[in-house]
Amino acid sequence: MKLTINDVARCLRLPVSTVERWIRQGRLPIQRTDDGYIFNESALEKWAAMYKLPFSLPEEVSETTQQTKTDNLLPAMKRGGLLYNIKGEDVETVLKNGVENIHMLSHNIKDTVYRGLLEREHMAPTGIGKGVAIPHPRDPLKDMISNALISTCFLETPVDFHAVDGMPVFVMFILLSPSTKTHLHLLSSLSFCIRNNPFVEFLKTAPDSRAFFSYISDFENRLVKGDRF
Amino acid sequence: MRILKWWRYPGNWPIFRFDDRLLLIFMAAIVGCFSGLASVALNRSLVMMADWLDHYRHYWWVFVLPGVGAALSSLFLEKVVKEGAGHGVPEVIYSVSRHGGLLRFRSSFTRLISSCLTIGSGGSAGPEAPVVISGAAIGSNIARYFSLNDRQRVTLVGCGAAGAIGSIFNAPIAGMVFAIEVIVGEWKAVNIAPIAIASVFGVEISHILQGDQIPFGHHVFKIDYLNIAASIGLAVLSAGASLFQTYLLRSMHTVSHKVTAPLWIRAAIGGCAVGVIGLFLPVVLGEGYHSIHMMITDRYHQVLLIVALASFAKIAATALTLGWGGSGGIFAPCLVVGSLVGVTYHHFLALFWPPSISLGNEGYYALLGMAGMISGMLQAPLTGIFLIIEITHGWEVIIPAIIVSVLTTTICHYFEPASYYLRDLVEHGHLLRPGTDARILSDLNISELLERDCIIVHPSMLLRDFIGIIKQSHRNYFPVEDEKTGEFLGIIHLDDIRPYLFDPVMYDTVFLGQIMKAPVEVAYPDDDVLDVVRKMEAKGLYSMPVVVNNRFMGLISKATILDKYRKELMVQTCRSI
Repeated sequence: MKLTINDVARCLRLPVSTVERWIRQGRLPIQRTDDGYIFNESALEKWAAMYKLPFSLPEEVSETTQQTKTDNLLPAMKRGGLLYNIKGEDVETVLKNGVENIHMLSHNIKDTVYRGLLEREHMAPTGIGKGVAIPHPRDPLKDMISNALISTCFLETPVDFHAVDGMPVFVMFILLSPSTKTHLHLLSSLSFCIRNNPFVEFLKTAPDSRAFFSYISDFENRLVKGDRF
Repeated sequence: MRILKWWRYPGNWPIFRFDDRLLLIFMAAIVGCFSGLASVALNRSLVMMADWLDHYRHYWWVFVLPGVGAALSSLFLEKVVKEGAGHGVPEVIYSVSRHGGLLRFRSSFTRLISSCLTIGSGGSAGPEAPVVISGAAIGSNIARYFSLNDRQRVTLVGCGAAGAIGSIFNAPIAGMVFAIEVIVGEWKAVNIAPIAIASVFGVEISHILQGDQIPFGHHVFKIDYLNIAASIGLAVLSAGASLFQTYLLRSMHTVSHKVTAPLWIRAAIGGCAVGVIGLFLPVVLGEGYHSIHMMITDRYHQVLLIVALASFAKIAATALTLGWGGSGGIFAPCLVVGSLVGVTYHHFLALFWPPSISLGNEGYYALLGMAGMISGMLQAPLTGIFLIIEITHGWEVIIPAIIVSVLTTTICHYFEPASYYLRDLVEHGHLLRPGTDARILSDLNISELLERDCIIVHPSMLLRDFIGIIKQSHRNYFPVEDEKTGEFLGIIHLDDIRPYLFDPVMYDTVFLGQIMKAPVEVAYPDDDVLDVVRKMEAKGLYSMPVVVNNRFMGLISKATILDKYRKELMVQTCRSI
């Protein structure tokens, strides 16, 4: 395959000026023609391997960067869904019932997820105040789920999550993500929403899914604009 | 037209397409032939000049001849072809270091003419360095004609030098070793093969045109252990002579520069001084091959005092010729001084030597003296050993020759860390051998290290807006530019705002103009990376903004420098293609 000088520079992760200099100095294997050079991919690959230099095609590079793009709040919330009247008197029961009701999770991983949530809860409570909790497992679920999800669970009766402000929790967002990066991104976006007091008041009404998602989408737009303070 | 184009790109010829080493070997053969021809041409013209001027030797005014020759050579170089005087080898090394072996086409013949004038008229200089620069320039221009790259061009420059030295001394190994040890400075198979081929072709051309002759044939020496041990003393003596020669050459250069007369008059003064010395000691005149031959075959019958005086006189004459503007090399004078020193040492030893043990003959010590002197001046022991052994075919003296060469090099290195050829280059930071730190840093330039993904901020921006920007940025540095003029004002590092980061009261009360650092150390795109790195080290900086016409271009940081430096080092030092 024939490459352009820009491709070669991108493959080697070097500026074009370095590649030009290497050609002038005769360090790169190229074929000269009367009006330029021809770069041969396989020859360059062999050469890069000989010098232990990184060399991969631009397509692969762009693929990996696309993959790392994280999920947003709204799709994750839509995947997790809204669950109403979750029963339970203590943390363990509400978590158990919450996980059981998440439709996106297959049966065989529900138990692992539940144990993960409990383990995290024992390390430090996830009640973040104002009657809201964000239970999540400490380690990402990796291959167990393909996309992140947030289940919004409205509890039947408020439960003491040992939150910092001591208020009993009336709504919990079970946050499950395949990677730590996605997890942190979603956690940060979610905490931005919860910092907004009218939103917490709105949550207390246990709104239906349409009103809820439009509220979230509004938040997300503000987030994208960088309006965080 | 197409055929013409095809001809200019030999890398595309089917035979060379699968391996460019073959191409280099082919080109090396051509370069070797041409530099062989150049050396034969100079040799023939020197003989002709000597024959022609021989008729005037008995006149009283003969001492002005070297002066006239040097003046003409200086005028030719300065006015006609506009090149500097000197012997040329440092210029070749400089071009290999800095410009990928680019040499002017005219260099391939100018030094031949000027050195022919200087040496032919009796100036004390050697024809080897001019031949080396000619051969190197031929190699460089052939490489340029065929559109070869820098690496190939440097190898062909080495090939030219090897062919020249090989041909002028009829010494293929010495030519090859000289080119690699002194000119190219890189012992790699990719260089060695073409350079060896060029050397062989240069020697063969000289064989065809001049016959296979040993320049300094001699009787077979009988050497015992005591004579080998005695060579250690000679090493010390020849080291002293090399150091003295280096010192005198440099100081003559300084003295001549203080004279306000034009260059050609200075050259004439130096030449006439040599002519005056030559009236009393004719051994100092010319390149001195004849005298070497006399000494090495034990036919130089002079007493100790005269020989010692002749050694000093030759050193002085060489310094007068080259230091005052004559043109030529130091190779041949070194050989003459070396052999004179060797004979002096022999006479000196004879005073104390016990009569019951046989003392090695004059020729033996003359030969070792040459080896010592060449190794000391060039600080290239291998060149010294191989050159002397090859030009004399004295393989039986190889052990003492090694001892003398290595010891002289070591002693000279102790006093003069860089050889005569390299000293100026080292002082000005122009000696850049492949794979060294200086070479890598000089190859990299600021524009290759530039990181452009910085977010630019303005002095009137509030801290609150700035915190929003920090979230989108990957970097810790933020250049500050004037909103209207776009001028670079200063820089903000994350550390500068850390104290205010968790204090929301400050968000709307502090402007970036108040917290930015200004003035800051900046670099320019034309700066040498070595200087920039030194500046960073001296000031303890990790990053520096690069500025052109007061506009911010990008940032260079130690992390990027390390990354690029490592890649450059890998490419320069691993196996070559």
